[in-house]
Formats: sequence, structure tokens, C-alpha cells
Amino acid sequence: MKKTVHSGVAACKKYSRRDNQAYIYLLPWLAGFLFLQLYPFCSSLYYSFADYQITAKPVWCGFNNYRNLFTKDTEFWNSLWVTIKFTLYTVPGKLALALGIAVFLNRDLKGINLIRTLYYIPSLFGGSVAVAILWKLLFMDRGVVNAFLNTIHIGPIQFWGDPGYALKTICALEIWQFGSSMVMLLAALKNVPRDLYEAAEIDGAGRIRKFVNITFPQITPIIFFNLIMQTIQAMQNFTSAFVITNGGPMKSTYVLGMKLYKEGFTYFRMGSASAISWVIFTIIIVFTLTLFKSSSAWVFYGDED
Amino acid sequence: MKRQWAAIILTAALALAGCSGNEAGSDTATATDPSSADTSAAAKEETTTAREASGTEEREPVTLRFSWWGGDERLAATLKVIEQFQEKYPHITVEAEYGSSDGYNDKLATQLAAGTEPDIIQIEPGNMALLASDETNYFLDLKEAGFDFSLFEEDYISQRINGCYGGKQLGIPTGVAGIALVVNQDLAEAVGIDFTQEYTWDDLIEWGKKVREYDDSMYLLCSNKDYLANIVARTYAKQISGSQAIGDDDKIQKMTQEDWKTVYEYVQQLYDNEVVAPAAYMAAYGGDNMQADPNWIEGKYVCCFTWVSLSEIMTAANPSANYIAGNFPVAQSAKSVGFFANTPQVISISSRSEHPQEALLFLDYFFNDEEAMETLGTVRSAPPTKKAREICAKTGSMSPLLADIVNVAASYTGIVDDTISYSQEGRQIMIDQIEALGFSSTTPQQAAEDTYSLYNNLIEVMK
Repeated sequence: MKKTVHSGVAACKKYSRRDNQAYIYLLPWLAGFLFLQLYPFCSSLYYSFADYQITAKPVWCGFNNYRNLFTKDTEFWNSLWVTIKFTLYTVPGKLALALGIAVFLNRDLKGINLIRTLYYIPSLFGGSVAVAILWKLLFMDRGVVNAFLNTIHIGPIQFWGDPGYALKTICALEIWQFGSSMVMLLAALKNVPRDLYEAAEIDGAGRIRKFVNITFPQITPIIFFNLIMQTIQAMQNFTSAFVITNGGPMKSTYVLGMKLYKEGFTYFRMGSASAISWVIFTIIIVFTLTLFKSSSAWVFYGDED
Repeated sequence: MKRQWAAIILTAALALAGCSGNEAGSDTATATDPSSADTSAAAKEETTTAREASGTEEREPVTLRFSWWGGDERLAATLKVIEQFQEKYPHITVEAEYGSSDGYNDKLATQLAAGTEPDIIQIEPGNMALLASDETNYFLDLKEAGFDFSLFEEDYISQRINGCYGGKQLGIPTGVAGIALVVNQDLAEAVGIDFTQEYTWDDLIEWGKKVREYDDSMYLLCSNKDYLANIVARTYAKQISGSQAIGDDDKIQKMTQEDWKTVYEYVQQLYDNEVVAPAAYMAAYGGDNMQADPNWIEGKYVCCFTWVSLSEIMTAANPSANYIAGNFPVAQSAKSVGFFANTPQVISISSRSEHPQEALLFLDYFFNDEEAMETLGTVRSAPPTKKAREICAKTGSMSPLLADIVNVAASYTGIVDDTISYSQEGRQIMIDQIEALGFSSTTPQQAAEDTYSLYNNLIEVMK
């Protein structure tokens, strides 16, 4: 008995010492988290309630920044609407394309791995500036796309000059980068138990029926995850609008990310920029919570009884 | 156990390395709040000693940071000047921080706010107006610090736009700049247009129609919304009102809504009569990107308004054309010629620099040394001093065309733009209205009302 207690104390000591060492290992990450994430997060909340020109000290001004945004700012509502449109085009578009391609690639064909890799390549570029510039050149007046359209006697279409096309063309860039969602959906498709399909086939179910009643419910957790992540990403979009159109023409691609950047780093109004970032954050939180609430109705987890 | 300790020591070393970077930053930040008078006086004394002592005795090694924006040619010449300077003053190392103009202002504002700005800074004059204030005190008074301005003309450097704020010389103008009208002379002659004579804004409209009749794939003026706003509309406004848009002293709008309406009606005419290409077409060549317009490259425009510092970029885009410097349009009833010469950039020294005397030495070499003048040539527009211009003409680095362009720009002595309406946000207000006119989504009347009201809001914010 004595021996056990003794060894228990030793174990405790050993673990507490290891714990302390663990903190040292964790220190770089903790420091990064505290100073580069938590501190900016909290300070931006304070700045959103302050009159803060980047070249002067912040002065508390209550809800002024928010009031100005919602009532006086001539660009905010347009930016919010553009961001919502961007989200509504890209999130379902990307998911549908990713799912369609994943279903297509979920079969045993010769060279299927190569095809999968090719489809994934656009995602490797991420939201990079280089890809945005490439996209810009492709859709220029005398770009490849217009050259192709010209051969079938269409156009030229001013993809970047016409307010009706600019946002849609930027959305197309975002949708084109569907690879990572596709890989996740492909993995989910491969995990659907084969016996379910066999049972359905015995019962005489066709392809569509099998997809609607077996495949789709089985992959809803992955769809749910993608829906949330892509909505967050879409609400924060900046690079493509900044690099390709700089928010134009006629502010048709002036997403909230662009508005935030202009307020903060072009007009130096950090207070107003922080308020915009908190509006974006609030929209994302509300949307995510609503999605989570609704998930019990449509997301199927395999471990449920 | 040994491995664990080794790992702990390494981790601690990494963490400390990270911290030491911050510490250096915070040191700079704390050392950066002295009154400018103290710094300037100290700098003045030390510069003299530094000059006397340089090269003759062993000195503590000093590292300066110098930031600028610009293209490859400017980069190569500036790096060469730095190299020459370092050979002359081996104890001073100048670290180059260069990039494109995109985002430069934004980065600089962040650096100034954080106290991490370079010692020597190239600044856009419009941006300088926002950054220079007694409250922030970011820049050294170079006259008080003892910089030798004897090669500069007093009338030129004493202008606010050229770095002189409230009697303090906070920056040195890097060149003579201003507006340029680059004309494709062979095409102009073929159409029957003469830009070397005196002419009015109305002539431009008539000439625009003539060009379209000559060839309907051509336009008279290559101009996007930014240039229509910052050059055409702004100058037209100054000519009809005879004043700045917003008074620099009293912060009151000098242009009435009726004045703005007249300005926008003129811009509308430019679009309606196809003097300029459609707004939707030019949207892809916004900002300082007009030289990328394939129609410009193919010589389908007769002329373009640009800045002196960018004129050679425009002409280089179509080297087969024969360009000349055109005169500027002036309205018959003009109260001022509107056009004026200024500088494309100013160079300043941070008042928080730990080595102001060495920074002054560098600028002294940069602006006053013949070797540097020769190396720099015209990479920052036509040089600001007569002596440097003579050297450039002798060495051939200043082309006859650029010399003509500078002479035309310098011959117009109109009103300098005011700080508020020429701030980034002020410029954006006009650009947005002109874009809306180009897309027919507003009328001159509405654009005038919006401009007037938005400028009132801006005055409130910037007061």
C-alpha cells in the first residue's frame, strides 16, 4: 500500500515537471496566439468604438463608427450587398461543382489518380496574387477567353469593364478553386458503406435514388463543414477584388474586405475599419450558429442511433 | 534528459530571438519621441562633424534604412548611388527597402504609426500633406538640421507641395514634375491637329470628333477615370473658379455646386463625343496602367495626359511613334491657368532616426554630389536642381523630349492642389463621380451635388 502511494506521488511529480516543460514547448505558439491573434482581436474591438486615425492616438467615441457605417456611409450597404452576392454565388457554386466532380472521380478508371491531381491543381494556388493576375489577363478585352468567344462570333465581352460581369467573373475564379472541397467530398464518398448500395440495388433503387437516399445523407457532415468554412472564406474575400478590379467598375466588386482595407490603409481610419471587421465577424457568427442549429435537421452522423 | 534540455535551450533561444527583434523595435519606438528641435539641433552639429570627420578617422559602423518605390531603372540607379556612397563613407551601410508604388503609402502609414519607419523615406507629396503635422512630428526639419540647399531654387522648395510645411523643410523635392501632354505628332498631323498652339477645352471636343471621323477605331485622348479626375476635371475646375477646391487655410469649399456641374458637364461631353474611349473599356487599364492599353501601344490615340515622371513610360510603350510635348488647354474665360509644376516625390528623414547626421550625409551626397547626379539621371523625373539638369543633358540621360515636357510643365504657374480634395479620399470622390458619368449612372447635376456634399463630410473628418 505504502509503495503504491509513494509511486503515485512520484508519478505526480514526474507529470507536473513534464507539464512545465510542455509549457516551454508551447511558448512560441502561445506567444504567437496571445500577441498576434488575441491581442489584435481584443484591440480591434476597442478601436471599433474609437476615433482612431492611424497617425494619432485612439479616442473613445462610443457607437459613432457603427452609426456612421449604417447611416452616413454611402458605400457600406453596397459593399455588404456585393459581399452577400459573392457568398451566394461562390459557396453553392463551389460546393456543387466539387460534389459533381467528386462523384465523377469516384470510380475506377484508368489513370484516375492523374485526373484527380489535375482537378486539384487550381486549389494549390490558393488565393494567390499570381492566380488573380492570370485570371485578369485571361478575361481581358484581348485575352484568351475573348479570343475564343471571337471565333464563335461572340463579344468581345468586357468582363472587367462591365459592372454586370465583373463580380460574376471574380466568382468564377473562386469557384474554379474547388479542389480542396472536392478532395474532402471524394474521401467522404469513398467512406459510404458498400453494403448500403447493395441493399438498395436489391430493393431495385436506381442511380438517382441511391444518390439522394444513401450518398447524400452519408456525406452531409462534410458538406456541412465545407459550407461553414467556405462561407467564412467568402465573407472575408479580398485578394481577387483588390488585384483584379480594385473594387470597380462602379463598385460592383467592392466587397467588405476591400472597403475595410480602403478605410484602414488608404484613408487611415482604423476605427472605422475595425468596426467593419466586427460587422463581418458578427455576420459570420450569426450565420455559423444558425447553420449549427439547423444541422440537427439535415446533417447525418453515422454514430447516431 | 540531455535531449530534453537541449530542446528547452533551443526553444528558449528561438523565443528570445523573436523577442530581441521586438526589443529593438521598441527601443526605436521609445527613442522616437524626442522633440524635433532637439533632434534637429543635434543633427546639425553632428552633420558638420560627420562631414569633417568622414573618411579620415575610424567611426562606429552605422546602418541606415532607405525606402522608395519605382521601376527597375530607378532601382538600378538608386542601388548604384548607394554603392558609391558606401565606398565614400565605408562606416555607413544603407539598406535598400524598395518596391512598387502599390500599397507603399499604406505600408508607410503603418510603419510611422508603429515607429518602425526607415531613416530615409521617399514620400508622395499628396500623402506627405497628410503625414506632416506638428502633432505627429514624424520628419526632421532639414533646413534646421543643416542640409545644404544652396543648389535649390528658394521659390521651388518653399512650396508646401515640395516639402515645406509651416516654414519647416520636412522633405526635399526629387525632381521637377507636373502634368505632361504626350502627343503622337505624326498621327496629330495626319488628322490635322496642332497641339503646339494655344487652344481651349472646347477645341479638344472638336478635335475629338475629327479623330473619330478620320478613323473610328481611334480616339483623341487616352485617359481613364483617374486621369480624367486628377488632371482634366481638377484643372478645368481651377480654371473656371480661379481657386483651390477647398481652401488650405480656412478649410472651406471654394467651388460652388454650379462650378462642379460645369466641370462634370465638360467630362460628360468628353464621353458623349467619344473624345475618350468608353469607361467600360478603360476600366481594365485603371490607375497608372494606361501604357498597357493595347490601343495606346498600337498608336490609336493622338495624345494622353500623364505626369512628367511617367511620360517616358507612356512613350516607351509605343517606341515607333514620334512624340512631342503638347501645350495645355486653357479656357477662354479662365481665371487661372490651373496647370502647375511640382515634384513627383519628396525625400525625408524620420525625426526618430537614430542616425540623423549620417542620413543627412547620404541626402547631401544624393542631391548635391555631381557623381550621384550623373548616376541618378532622370529616374525620379527631371532633377530638381539646375546643376543636375545640366549634367543630365550633357550625359544624354535626359532626352530632348523629356526636356521639352519639363519646360512646358514649368511654363504654367497655376494653383497648387489643396490638401483635402487632393488627399486619397478627396481624389476618390471625384474619381467615383467621373466613373458614374462614364457609365451614365449619374448626371452632372447629381454628381455636382454629391461632390459638394461629400467634400463637406470630408472637411468635417479632416479638420
